[in-house]
Formats: sequence, structure tokens, C-alpha cells
Amino acid sequence: MTFNEQELVKGCKQRNRIAQKQLYDVFGGKLFAICLRYTKNRADAEDVLQDAFIKIYENIDSFRADSPLEYWLRSIVVNTALNHLRQQKYLKELDDIDVHHNGLSDREFTLGNFQMQQLMEMIRELPPGCQTIFNLYAIEGYQHNEIAQMLGISEGTSKSQYSRARTLLQQKLNKEKRFDDGSVQHKQF
Amino acid sequence: MMDPSNINNFEDQWRKALQGASETPPPSVWEGIEARLDKEQEKVVPMWWQSPKVWYAAASIVALLLVGGGLWLSGIETGDKPQVAVSTKPAGVSESESSEAAKKAASPEENLNTERLATASEPPTSLTKPGKQRSADPKTGIARAGGGNAVGKRENAFAKTKNPETEQQGVAVAARVQKPVAGNGSVNEVINTFATPVENTQPVEISVAKVAGNSYAARLADQSQTISAQLLASLPYSDLDVYVQKRHVFFRPQIEIEEPLKEKKPKEYYAGLGLMPASFNPDVQLKEAPMAFSAQSVSQRRATTGSSEARASYAVQTQGGVRLSKHWSVETGISYLRGNSAYEGGGYVLNAYSNLSSNVLENALAGLTTSANSPAADKAAGFNNGALYIDVAKKVSNNYQYLQLPVQAGFTLNPDKKFSYSVLGGMMANFFLVNELESASGEIIRTTASDDIYRGMNWAATTGLRLNYKLSSNWAANLTGSYQKAVSSGFKSNQSLDAHPYLYGVSWSVRYSF
Repeated sequence: MTFNEQELVKGCKQRNRIAQKQLYDVFGGKLFAICLRYTKNRADAEDVLQDAFIKIYENIDSFRADSPLEYWLRSIVVNTALNHLRQQKYLKELDDIDVHHNGLSDREFTLGNFQMQQLMEMIRELPPGCQTIFNLYAIEGYQHNEIAQMLGISEGTSKSQYSRARTLLQQKLNKEKRFDDGSVQHKQF
Repeated sequence: MMDPSNINNFEDQWRKALQGASETPPPSVWEGIEARLDKEQEKVVPMWWQSPKVWYAAASIVALLLVGGGLWLSGIETGDKPQVAVSTKPAGVSESESSEAAKKAASPEENLNTERLATASEPPTSLTKPGKQRSADPKTGIARAGGGNAVGKRENAFAKTKNPETEQQGVAVAARVQKPVAGNGSVNEVINTFATPVENTQPVEISVAKVAGNSYAARLADQSQTISAQLLASLPYSDLDVYVQKRHVFFRPQIEIEEPLKEKKPKEYYAGLGLMPASFNPDVQLKEAPMAFSAQSVSQRRATTGSSEARASYAVQTQGGVRLSKHWSVETGISYLRGNSAYEGGGYVLNAYSNLSSNVLENALAGLTTSANSPAADKAAGFNNGALYIDVAKKVSNNYQYLQLPVQAGFTLNPDKKFSYSVLGGMMANFFLVNELESASGEIIRTTASDDIYRGMNWAATTGLRLNYKLSSNWAANLTGSYQKAVSSGFKSNQSLDAHPYLYGVSWSVRYSF
């Protein structure tokens, strides 16, 4: 049997295992991608996903139908990932960094030539603090003041870490491009 | 730092590329989640596991499945038809000595055969024709079903898979044959020993024959095993697993729990308590001037064109209602209405000799009364001669008290939401309690229902609009604007006086639903 979103939530509220499994089947892939973005290895990502789903099932009663389900699920996963990072002490020493712009141009910026896997890998290769803040700011769309509050850091730190992440990513992108064929180069500039 | 104009471009690109990203997690993740959920549920909701009812239900389902499986295996279509399973070493037909005997066979399945209960519904001789019988071999056996026999069918399937060539195979078959018998107590078996001609020289061989009648059985016994196998070719064997689906048993209680929750639509009753500040107007009309006033020709015009004026009033309301459907509800209640008003109607007449005075309303009231004890009665007389009309515009208070009994239907827009709106309409029975009229001399004339001036009960139509705000699942706050208008006169006789009270009010109330 298949459920629509509303029935899925209702089933999960009643602790119906079939509904719980279906919720996992429907959203598990997307949420796992988030876990992968925030962690350093697959094993950690799997742990985060598992913890997040347990939280989801336990707290499904607090879900209000007036907000989109996926948004709610994503926020739980992000919070679980942040907790995980805190436990791993990845977020312990986040300092303000002096970032010098390296002059890399991002005019006509496009990621269309990169595989999603490649991009994920680039993010995961960032230093932990940069990785988290880049995810929160660029992908999840939080503001720097919100991020500062979430991570217990100053807004300036959030900004400088993000700047650093951006520079590092830009460098990675340019490096990748060098190994690409000419058509990509042509497209890029 | 960065060129701000490009920031969005950069982030948008990343967001676009990764926000919808999806990667299938390995199956171990769900397994881990499930294991943890099982643990949680054991801790959190152990009730239904502990309930013996569930176990009884599960046990009965298992029993049903076993019995059902046995019946299914026995093959309804075979009915009384005997099924013959032959296990033979050399060729030969045996006569059975007793219909209720388990015989030992020397073949490897002998042990199994001896375990069977042999109860025959018919003499085994009918199974075979004497002419066809050959020398008996005690090492062969026939298993036959009496009523519904699972054995025959099972063996048939095996016969189809080729005759076993070794003793071990024979044993295996016999062992399988035994299984359903053990599961189904109703199966009776007769074990006969007899021999059938077989070409096969293997030490142990099992062939199965399914026959339509007893005589047919005998004929069939002559035929080769290949034909026997063909006859039974369509009988399925691999469906054995069907009745071992434990998950059905496990998930059933959860599905049962789901249903009552879905049908959570009982009749909803509610009770409320409220206070309604209102503007009440008795709308008293003087149809013709009372005697004392009509005599005063000067006063007539002025005195009889008086009007009522609303003053601050209030009602204390209790209500009870029932929600009939999603939108419709019916409610009733009891309210106490204190309706204050003023009457402005010219001056008053003054008796020059007795100094008695009377305004037009009290004089008219006095004219209506039939009771000598009425406080208004003494105002009736004494103004015919020598009375003066004092022409002043004077307001006198004219206050009423009613007990109200409304019956209203309500139609609610967006029920079940935090805010809902109801349109109300219905009738209201107003039971007259007291009227207090200020006389010209300043004293209060108190008229009660027993004075027979006012009707004990008069009807009013009522309509309203209610704003309902849910405070919790049970409590709600209401703000109701209502309008009531009497459809009949408040006076018993409306010859000279007429009153059609009307009221505007806004009621504040709380409501409890259960």
C-alpha cells in the first residue's frame, strides 16, 4: 500500500511500521545526501541518518501540517548532523580567519559541468568548520547571524569561515577544470 | 573580499546542484533504525504485547491457518474419492486383514507407517479387485484417505517427480507424507498392505494413484506409475509456505488500532456560560389613549405619541448544544434577561382634588388590569373629573425581567479550525417575570405575571452570528452578536397597548465541548 504525505505522517504518529518504512523510503535518499554533506565519511553519515530518523519517528507528533514535511525532516537531519559534529569536536575551535581574496573570478559562474558526486566530495574535503558553515549558509540558506547562534560562534567567524570555504571551493573547481577538456574551459569563460 | 554581485550566483549554483541531491543509503541503515524502533516500542508500548488477548488472537489465527492449510491440502475436490499411495518392493497386491490396523512394513518407511492411525471408512477390499491381487507382500503399503486426506495429495506430487530410486528417497517421501498428517488430526488413514505390479526393480518405490471411485482405484492399480503421475500432474506442492507467514500475525493488531482512530467522529456536545450586554427596547405602543387622557382633549395628541427608548440591559445565559454533523448544530439554554428601557410620552394627568397623578402608560396599564389587587388598579379611577393634564416631556423608566428559552440551529463555517463562524437562527420563548414602571409620582409600579396584564410567555424570533475561538481541544471562547424580536404582543389584550420587544446584544461566553 502507498500513502500520501498526510497519511504517511498519520501512520507514523500511530507508530505504524509500514508507514515508517515508507517515510524512510521516500525521504531517505535526500536526507542521506544531506548527511553526506555534513560528515567526513560514509559511516558517520549513516550514523547521523539513523539518529535523525529515530528522532523523526519519536517527534513526529510535534510536526504541524502547516509546514512542508520535507522542510521539517531536513531541519531535523541538519540539527542531528550538527550535534554529531559537536560530539566529534569538529566545531570546537572555530576561529576568525583572515581571508585574502585570491582574485579568482567567479563571473559567469556555473557548476553545470560537474557531477553531483564531485561537488559533494569537494565540500567534504573542506576543513570541518568551513564545511559546516558552507552547508548552512550556501545550501540550507541560513543567515550568518542564525549560524552564529546555532554554532555558538560570532557572526564574524561565520562570515570569515564561509569566505574561506568559498575560496577553497573556487580553487578546487579551477583545479578540476584544468584537467577537463577544452570545451569546459570554453564554456566557463 | 568578494564581489557582492556574484555572491548569489555562486550560492545559487551550489544550492541548485546540491539541494535536491539524493543518494540511496545502504540497507544496513534501515535495519539499524528498525532494530532501535523495536527496542523503543518494547519499552514504550509494551501493552499489546503483554495483552493475553493478542496472543490468543495470534494463536487462533495460527490454528486457523493450520486447519485451513490442512483442509486445503486435503483437496476438497477429491471428497470421498480414495487416493492410493503405493509403496512397493516387488509387484503384488495385498489383502487387508483388518480395517483398523496399522501394519508394519519391512521397507524403510515401515516406522513411519506404524505411527499412522489407521481408521478406515470402508473395507479396504473394495479398493482392489480380487482378480488383480497377487501375492501379498507385507513390505508394501497403501495409504488411503478416508474423509479428507492430505497424504494422498502430497504423495501425488512426489510421484510426479519420478519414482524414487533409492531407499533413502522412499524414506524422504514417507517422511513428508507424515508431516501434514501430524498437523491435521482429522485425517484418517488406512494402511493396507498389498502389491501392485511394477516394472521397476528398485528396492523401494512409491507410486500414487488418484481415482474417482473404489472400482476405479482397483483398475488404476494395474496401470503404470507414469499414468498415475500424469493424473496428478496439476496438483501444486510448492504452495506449502503460504500458511507460514508470521508477519501477518504480527501486523494485524496495529491495523486494528488504526481504524477506531480514523472514525473519530462522535456526536459532540457542548455547554456554555455567557454574559450578554444588550440594548433592550420593549417598543410599547399606545393604540388609543386611556380614558383619563382621552378626556383631556389637549393631552390626547401629545400623550399618545410617546415612544420607548432602549437602555443598557443584560442577559445571563447558559446554553447546551449538540453538534449534529460537520456543520450543523442545535442548541438550547436558559437565560435571564434584564431589559431596561425608558418611555417618553408627554406629561401626566393630575387630579386636582386628590393630588393623584398618572402618566399615560400607568393609566393605560391600569385600564388593562382585571385584578383589583393590581398595583396599577388604583390609578384607573379618579381622573375623569377635575383632572388636569400637565404637559411636560418626561421619561419614565420601564424595566422588564424575562426568563428566556431559546432553541436555535447553527451552521458553522470552517469547523475544526481554530477560528470558526456560526450563523444562528431560531425561536425563543420569553417567560415574563416582572415589569417595573416608574409612575408619574416617582414610585415604582411592579407588575408580575400573576397580574394578568402581560402574557406569561411570548415568542420571539432570534438570529445571530457567532465567532468561535478554540482555546484547547475542549474549551472555546465565543462572541455572539444576536438580535431578538418578539413576534407576538407582550400584552394579554392589545386593545390599547401593544409591545413587541426587540433586543440587540453581544454575548461573551465560554464553551466546553465533550
